[in-house]
Amino acid sequence: MAERKLLFEHTHDPAFRTLDGYKATGGYQALEKAIKMDRQAVIDEVKASGLRGRGGAGFPTWIKWNGIPKDKKTTHYVLCNADEGEPGTFKDKQLMETCPFLLVEGMTIAGHATNADQGFIYIRGEFIDAARALRSAIDEAYAAGLLGKNIMGTGWNFDLDIHLGAGSYECGEESALMSSLMGERGMPRLKFPHAPLPTVAGLWERPTLINNVETYCCAPFIIKNGGEWYASLGASTKNSRGTKIFSVSGHVNKPGNFEIEFGTPLKELLEMAGGVKGGKLKACVPGGSSVPIITAEDVDRAIIGYEEMSEVKSMVGSGGCMFLNEHTCIVTFIWRTALFYANESCGKCTPCREGTRWMLQILDRIRRGNGQKGDIELLKDICSQIDGRSFCGLGDAAAWPVAAALRVFPHEFEYFIENGKSMVESEPTLAMAP
Amino acid sequence: MAAAVQIETVNITINDIEIAVPKGELIVEAVKRLGLEIPIFCYHPRMKPVGMCRMCIVEVGFKQPDGTVRKMPKPQAACTLPASEGMAVYTDTEMVHRDRKGVLEFLLINHPLDCPICDRGGECPLQNNTLFYGPSTSRYVELKRHAPKAFPLSKYVTLDLERCIQCGRCVRFTEEISGDSELAFRFRGANMQPSTFELRDFESKFSGNVIEICPVGALTSAKYRFRARPWDLETKPAVCTVCSNGCNVWFDYRVGKMVRINGRTNEGVNEEWTCDKGKFGHEFYNSEDRLLTPLVREGDQLVPTDWARVYSDVIRAFANGGDKVAALGGAANSNEDVFMLNRLMTGIFGTKNLDHRFERNLVTGVGEKLGVSEVQSTIASLEDAPSMLVFGTSLADELPIVFLRVRKAWFKNGAKVVVAHHAPTDADSFAEVILRYKEGTEAAVASGLLSLLVSAGKAQVPAATADAIKPFTPEHVEQLSGVPAEKLRVAAELLEGAPIITTRSMYNQASGVDALEALAGLAMVTNGKFNCYSLQANAEGATLLGTKEGMHTHQILNAAAAGELKALWLVNVDPFALYPDRELVQQALENVEFLAVQGTVASEAMHYASVVLPQCAPAEMDGTYTNVERRVQRMRPVLKPKGSTKPGWNIFSEIAVRLRPATPFFNPGEVMAEIAKENPAFEGATYDKLPAEGFVIR
Repeated sequence: MAERKLLFEHTHDPAFRTLDGYKATGGYQALEKAIKMDRQAVIDEVKASGLRGRGGAGFPTWIKWNGIPKDKKTTHYVLCNADEGEPGTFKDKQLMETCPFLLVEGMTIAGHATNADQGFIYIRGEFIDAARALRSAIDEAYAAGLLGKNIMGTGWNFDLDIHLGAGSYECGEESALMSSLMGERGMPRLKFPHAPLPTVAGLWERPTLINNVETYCCAPFIIKNGGEWYASLGASTKNSRGTKIFSVSGHVNKPGNFEIEFGTPLKELLEMAGGVKGGKLKACVPGGSSVPIITAEDVDRAIIGYEEMSEVKSMVGSGGCMFLNEHTCIVTFIWRTALFYANESCGKCTPCREGTRWMLQILDRIRRGNGQKGDIELLKDICSQIDGRSFCGLGDAAAWPVAAALRVFPHEFEYFIENGKSMVESEPTLAMAP
Repeated sequence: MAAAVQIETVNITINDIEIAVPKGELIVEAVKRLGLEIPIFCYHPRMKPVGMCRMCIVEVGFKQPDGTVRKMPKPQAACTLPASEGMAVYTDTEMVHRDRKGVLEFLLINHPLDCPICDRGGECPLQNNTLFYGPSTSRYVELKRHAPKAFPLSKYVTLDLERCIQCGRCVRFTEEISGDSELAFRFRGANMQPSTFELRDFESKFSGNVIEICPVGALTSAKYRFRARPWDLETKPAVCTVCSNGCNVWFDYRVGKMVRINGRTNEGVNEEWTCDKGKFGHEFYNSEDRLLTPLVREGDQLVPTDWARVYSDVIRAFANGGDKVAALGGAANSNEDVFMLNRLMTGIFGTKNLDHRFERNLVTGVGEKLGVSEVQSTIASLEDAPSMLVFGTSLADELPIVFLRVRKAWFKNGAKVVVAHHAPTDADSFAEVILRYKEGTEAAVASGLLSLLVSAGKAQVPAATADAIKPFTPEHVEQLSGVPAEKLRVAAELLEGAPIITTRSMYNQASGVDALEALAGLAMVTNGKFNCYSLQANAEGATLLGTKEGMHTHQILNAAAAGELKALWLVNVDPFALYPDRELVQQALENVEFLAVQGTVASEAMHYASVVLPQCAPAEMDGTYTNVERRVQRMRPVLKPKGSTKPGWNIFSEIAVRLRPATPFFNPGEVMAEIAKENPAFEGATYDKLPAEGFVIR
């Protein structure tokens, strides 16, 4: 299989970033169609499409859309999580920079389906270009009556605004994102069953739909071509439908974003990216830094799909796919990952706050040649004390890569602890600062 | 009594024991019904649960139709989990024990474990939970996190960041309870720390509470730091006498000396909170200025003497004094003291010149004049009021604990609070409407509100009143007071059934009396409750038990200044501190022939004294106090009386017996029995009947 460009079809066309150019390729036909449809019919199309959340968790999108109360009693919000911060993932950045109208139209469709009044796009603070592209797209849409009052003469009002984050990975966690958007410290909030779902009480305790950028961008295609058509993409997999954008990085010749159909073998993704650079393939982190690392042998047999990836004990995640060649020291790689999570823990709960720092300290000691007997068992214990015990998913995300590396490459850790140096001869070529 | 509310219950199992609990009750609370306890750090029953520390983790499952239990894949925090039908909770599984140990290991790796020199050592939740649930050894060999050891957040609170376990209790207290939001977290991850904004002073009227709710020794009292080990302290229940709220406190002392004051739970009064004035305001117990022996004047000096000499001097000056003698004060004394003082003055000395009030425009109480009570709401009842009017007082300063209840009514139950005052107050932050008037125009604003409601036809008032308030249209009130007419209208709309809260300091305002009359009228019109709360520890008791027939304070001082008084007794009061006209006080004290000064600490008035009668401090004697809501509470003796000090009732009683031999009172319980005989309102307050939480006179 090759690339299957759906969202990215016009990614290299500068005109696509203007309303005229967007419309010329069929843009806004979906909204026009959706807005004449019954709200429930829109949601049913999404259901038929089998679309699942592209942010990493793969939650069925239609359940969220369907969860917004049908009898509107108060303001409804539509919220886009554009705080793409997972190391190795950069698909939303390109989507927003080059296809801003896809997101605006997708959110407007979602707004119609959920009878919303206001949309927010919470953009990672560093994504200035994306924010500018979206700002200009939103302005154009307002001018054309595609946002604001009386959209397309239907009498429905929908406002859309952007909000720039202030540089915290944790704010990509949906409840922390809402805290941050509401002006609070970016810490996660209680979730179901401890608190109502965001679809019942989200932003300012009001019904809120929150999805990832890529998820919203799929909506126009689903409406335009029908849910069934969309579901025909990726039909070879158990339960993953449509296309998925993978951000390929690491030791590959041609890093970048690649849109593929679910069911594509992982090794084909590697081929699309020009194959391994600088040696043989050693390992792959297929879905962003938090998903478990897999070996080259697993890359050979892995099929991209939410269920299929669990057969190699990993995940699709957010699609941040990092390939590592044989000169990569896994210990150093995991140390760098642990450094990221220790820096980004918000501090709210004990396991994540203390556990991430402790793991980092141990890995740092090993990396400096001062590893001790028992460090591996201790690291495993710490991982199990964080995984499933932290307040939000960040703790899990910090524990998984360490636990997986210890499971998949135990000998590298053992060697480093015993000999005080890496078993990999040459220095890793990945940027390892600081 | 309100009708019993039907509470919806759900059936859950806790460790396979079936139990019905209210729907939505947090599991951490529900397990208590079975006598179980789940260890906690961040959870506090009076604040919103946050689930930060993860100490309370339990296993949770749901009963399936086939009777089996399907466990949730991850353990859950019990402090945030509401009970729902079919829930199965396990608090005692291997996984739970392992997870508790894990959380404690995490909390301890960066904790300095300096328990031997920590104030909290011995009463520390972290120590306790570690003892029962924690690991016995540490696997941590890395460098611990370091931070400043004794950072002064304010003159009362010192922060030791290394001990902090980031539970957020202190931060949430300032957000949810005191409302000043003085504390917040800064930095993130392992570096997260509670802090004031830009490390400025922790300026709160309730900062002492965070010391008590801190589950470790991170927040310590600057006054108590390193002064004692908790297990060396003796603790007895007491009542705070710094203001009229009558907060229940624990009195900690060591070798006969007051060491610290902590909040004690009384749901009717202070819940469990204290204000800083009260928590840190008991220093006088150990003061160098304590009066320890009777003193008598010899030339320009006061020299120590014995009680017999002082008694005979007092008797010579006061006996058969009639209108020529008087006494001032008593609002800080116990009910028993006040009663015996009254009996001595009226019954033995034959004078009714006795007053405890010092307000500038002292008159017959407005309540008495209009035939209504000046205390109609209990503190706790404020919590359920849908709206309230706080008039002419900076409540957080004057009655801090009443302020917390008013704020709670807003924070928890969404009460709409109208705040009227001439200056900004802490209550403004949650006020629905703020009526900011020019000082001195209180009466206009109050009359304006009354006028609006009367003209809206809400109620009938006597013709004279109707005429008097007629000119106070909203527009006219705006001209007079600067309060926008529209705001007055909005405020008036909110007042149906609203408790009105004001304080006796209104009597200090030029138009305060008229304002109070209008407010009392307003309460009648709106079916609200009028409260003109008093401010001193036992001012209500002094009002209920004192005489209202003789000269009042102004007249007494003027008479003394004019040389018309033979003798004056200052009972535990310094008129220089309380009376608005200093010069008159000075003249009065200079010109009175004989001045008896009774008190616990040296005061300015003492310089004019003929004799000084040293009185015990409140916690050194047995007695009852009637607080702001007329709740009679008993304070048993905690400390031994210092030096040769005596309780007030005893002083008065001993003098009375010398003049008119009778069976003396041997203890304050007998005095209270006598009070109840003469004043049936106090019947429920006799020592054999008085409940631990006090008795509210209605």
